[in-house]
Amino acid sequence: MAACRRGLDTFLFPVRLLRTPNFQNERFLSTSLYRLASGNGSEPPKFTPPPKPVVIDKTQTSASLRKFLSPEFIPPRQRSDPFKFLIERKDMIRRRKVLNIPEFYVGSILAVTMADPNASGKTNRFVGICIQRGGKGLGATFILRNIIENQGVEICYELYSPRIQKIEVLKLEKRLDDNLTYLRDALPEYSTVDPDMKPVPFSPTGEVPVNTIKVKMRPKPWSKRWERPKFNIQGIRIDLYLSPEKMEHAQKWAQPWLEYDMLKEYDTTKLEEEIHSEVQKEMSK
Amino acid sequence: MAALSCRFILQRGTRLFSLRTAAESHAHFVGCNRTLNTTTWFDEHLTEDNQEYMRKSMAEEYRKQTAEKLSPLKDEPWPRHEWTQGSRRVGLVAVKLGMAPIWTKTGERHVVTMLQVQDCHVIKYLSKEEYDGHTAALIVGGKNVSPFHRSENEMEIFRNAGVPPKQKVTTFKISDNALIKPGTPLYAAHFRPGQYVDVTAKSIGKGFQGVMKRWGFKGQPASHGQTKTHRRPGASGPGGDPAKVFKGKKMPGRMGNIYVTTYGLKIWRVNTKHNVLYVNGSVPGHRNCLLKVRDTILPTRSSTLLSPPFPTYFTEEEGDLDEDLYDDNLFFHTEPSLTLT
Repeated sequence: MAACRRGLDTFLFPVRLLRTPNFQNERFLSTSLYRLASGNGSEPPKFTPPPKPVVIDKTQTSASLRKFLSPEFIPPRQRSDPFKFLIERKDMIRRRKVLNIPEFYVGSILAVTMADPNASGKTNRFVGICIQRGGKGLGATFILRNIIENQGVEICYELYSPRIQKIEVLKLEKRLDDNLTYLRDALPEYSTVDPDMKPVPFSPTGEVPVNTIKVKMRPKPWSKRWERPKFNIQGIRIDLYLSPEKMEHAQKWAQPWLEYDMLKEYDTTKLEEEIHSEVQKEMSK
Repeated sequence: MAALSCRFILQRGTRLFSLRTAAESHAHFVGCNRTLNTTTWFDEHLTEDNQEYMRKSMAEEYRKQTAEKLSPLKDEPWPRHEWTQGSRRVGLVAVKLGMAPIWTKTGERHVVTMLQVQDCHVIKYLSKEEYDGHTAALIVGGKNVSPFHRSENEMEIFRNAGVPPKQKVTTFKISDNALIKPGTPLYAAHFRPGQYVDVTAKSIGKGFQGVMKRWGFKGQPASHGQTKTHRRPGASGPGGDPAKVFKGKKMPGRMGNIYVTTYGLKIWRVNTKHNVLYVNGSVPGHRNCLLKVRDTILPTRSSTLLSPPFPTYFTEEEGDLDEDLYDDNLFFHTEPSLTLT
């Protein structure tokens, strides 16, 4: 960005010279006059420092303004007393008032600083791509993945652990899938993140950008048969690795009737609305 | 069994009584063979208005009996005694809510089970002679239920205590100095963080299971020429000399659904407002089940019980308790993040 602006300036400079010769003459005149006038006076002019330039740091990520409820607030569908989740939510809000847990999704690039008694400086900062979010309530977790010295490294963090000191979102984006564990079988370049990465600015409003990248995989065998319908993976160039016959064969495990199973339906929109307003109210206190 | 006893009555009737009584007992015999359903709904013969009225009046009565009657010390309290080493206090009846993680100040993670004490009341005091001749006991009930599906006999004990009927009623053995007046409400603050408790509940029923799941037998290899022998019990005992299978041989059968006690669970935190106990680790029973919590009987853990609220926690005495009582080395979520050294 800065380099680009410099280039623009060098291009515009002669143009500006051509366009405003009169003004420049005037300025020349005025300065000389001013100098003469000051020379006549008894004391030299007081030095007035130039106004401080206002630097807008676009690398700093601002707090998100869009309506967002972290997924661990939504209770799972089970026969537990809703009171259990209420009392857990209170603790979660207490923790969130101390530690800023930003909005992030699977596919976002995060940096987590964690207290570690064995690390030098007693803290450990890990940068990686979030490949999975799991757990509900206080036990919510997320997994960061990165390739360090040609070795894939994954760390599972507990969102509400007191050892976590800082969570930064370096790049806010979504991917085509809600679970990126297939990156373990993908080429390493897709999970490699620069540990000294600078935060990428994002807009605090509007939709979260979706990265529609489709990854290339390592040769088979994979840790799981990602082509099977139960994973419903969109983010793999599956046509590179499977013949049409094989693709057809994988559909043998499809369970297309499940989406019509009304007993499995769990509509959380209303619940989400209630919990969101409750969390907003408590957080603003 | 019932049919057998009926037949016995029938035979005796024919032998001892007149023909008419014999005919009656014959009718009884017929009734035994068919399932005779005599239970009725409480609202069977009531109009809708009356049903509504009954429900409302019951709710009102419950409120009077529980929420508005929180001061057992004021009306004719029973004599109270001092805590001495070796006294056994009453326990609580609690509902299992579920599990959650907690963290200590050193950053270690533990799991806890959340138990809520709902409407727990002392129902009856049984003196030494009335109970078993060795110890006194208190009958304690938890979780209010509808009175409409209870028999008169069942209701009488609750009516004497002046509390609504309870879903779960249990007996706690107590020492003589720990007696409490029936009708006294019990709260989660009866237990304090740092002490250890025993939890008793009915474990989750697993149905009819084989020896591998039920008793942890090893079973047999999956392959290498096994014929129809993979999860079987194998031999059941020595042959020849005893020439029998000893009693108590571990065999397949119904697993679970029995009372199980877990001993020595630490209490990490107590929420006095909502009456929630945070007990270390897992406890038997499914979620929302009713369980029995008491001071531990483990001799190694009895030293943690130093001057507890005795005989129980009364709101009038210690009304200024914090909303949350924490164990000493438990991390509060309001504190800043940990820095480990």
